[in-house]
Amino acid sequence: MTRGWIAFAAVCAAAACRRPQPGDPVRGLSVTERARFDSGKVVFDSAFTPEKGLGPLFNGRACASCHEDPVSGGVGEEVEHHATAFHPGGPGRACDELAALGGPVFQDSVTPLLRAALGIEKEPVPPQATAIAERTSPDIFGRGLLDAVPDSVILSYADPDDRNHDGISGRPNRFLDGRLGRFGRKAFVPTLREFNAGAFQIEMGITNPSVPDEGTVAGKPLPAGTDPAPDPELSAHNLELADAFVLLLAPPAPLKQSSEAHRGSEVFAQVGCAGCHVPKLRTGDNPIPALRHKEVAAYSDLLLHDMGPELADICFGLATPNEFRTEPLMGLRLAKHFLHDGRAKTPEQAIQMHAGEGARARDLFDSLPPADRAALVAFLKTL
Amino acid sequence: MNRLTLLSLASLVAPLALAAQQPIAPHDSVRGAIRAVDLHTRTLEVTTGVGYALRVVRLQVPASVPITDRKAGQGEPIKLGELKPGDVIRVSFGGRATGFVAYAIERVGRMEAGVEPSP
Repeated sequence: MTRGWIAFAAVCAAAACRRPQPGDPVRGLSVTERARFDSGKVVFDSAFTPEKGLGPLFNGRACASCHEDPVSGGVGEEVEHHATAFHPGGPGRACDELAALGGPVFQDSVTPLLRAALGIEKEPVPPQATAIAERTSPDIFGRGLLDAVPDSVILSYADPDDRNHDGISGRPNRFLDGRLGRFGRKAFVPTLREFNAGAFQIEMGITNPSVPDEGTVAGKPLPAGTDPAPDPELSAHNLELADAFVLLLAPPAPLKQSSEAHRGSEVFAQVGCAGCHVPKLRTGDNPIPALRHKEVAAYSDLLLHDMGPELADICFGLATPNEFRTEPLMGLRLAKHFLHDGRAKTPEQAIQMHAGEGARARDLFDSLPPADRAALVAFLKTL
Repeated sequence: MNRLTLLSLASLVAPLALAAQQPIAPHDSVRGAIRAVDLHTRTLEVTTGVGYALRVVRLQVPASVPITDRKAGQGEPIKLGELKPGDVIRVSFGGRATGFVAYAIERVGRMEAGVEPSP
């Protein structure tokens, strides 16, 4: 073999061994899949204007407006507002997502035409709401792998009656048609594709083949002439490309662990974090080979857990105000704020705000020697 | 065609139905959770949607509409009054001048119990 070939082989080997960086696709895509990923990124990054369909109600002008740091698909500084009504013990469902009144997402921006017609700066939250929640923009790296985890795997971690007496009783949330939910801070949405299609309309006011109408303004029809772009405002082709981009984003590879971080991974398990933040899930059969039968370092069971009254906000589906889906910790090092509403500024604060089913692990964390606490945090910062 | 597409098509078709003053063809079906049942007016409210884009569909239920329960055997007939909030139902419906009218309702389960995706 010539030196040239040896050098070429070395370069190829280095590229193959390169750890996935934020924004990279999952490994093993076909040429066609890679092309769809690249084209999907263009759609994901596209900024919409009112002439192209933005609004009349919206939170952002592009997917990448809120999922942007350090690259498209990453975290964002934006905070949006969700509101629902919770009436346990009443004659109806305990949770009303306020869908008849414009909920559960109440957009914070309006187009000039809607502002001129109604004199509003954002969608008003109706008085029927019992809680308003703030929601930060998480990174969405590796979500395609979470999408590929079979329901049976998630349900295998459920222990709603805490029969093993470990103080942790994860339970599944369900969408309105009874399917298992997994996406969103309350695990309400069953699939990534549905989350994306809904987000185009809810977050940007971009109608699409799956959601071809704009809905209402707090339950009232849109005033005539405030949404001049013809529906659907996003083609089926572009929706599919955006889906492909999100589906195929790789989870960022964990950083190389120092000896302290390695010790922290052991502490993580010892204090019980892994009871909910399950380190690894396995995907099932999947039409995309790169997502098929893969191990994903999710650090989540994708189930709901009672986190206590201090963190409580809205209900959603079967989730009570106290209940939240275990936040996947993959990509945690990219986060600037922590917990569902960003109230924690550091991982340590986030741990100390755990209550309810997380109280035992929190207390054990607090009782650790300082070196072990530091080690656990060092481990988290490698994810 | 997914559920919300059907709903939205129904929304688009509604004005046409108003103009025509005639029933139109069924729009396939919608599947979601019952929000409210009003026996006095024989109406149902069903919450459905895609992702976080949720919608409520109001349906009239004439007395002649077949209502069945998948869990109670092979489509055993049940009464409107047996439907409860949180029941997951599948409804075929059409538009009339007075709004959407159910053609057939099937209760497929309860949200909290979970329902397998339909084929």
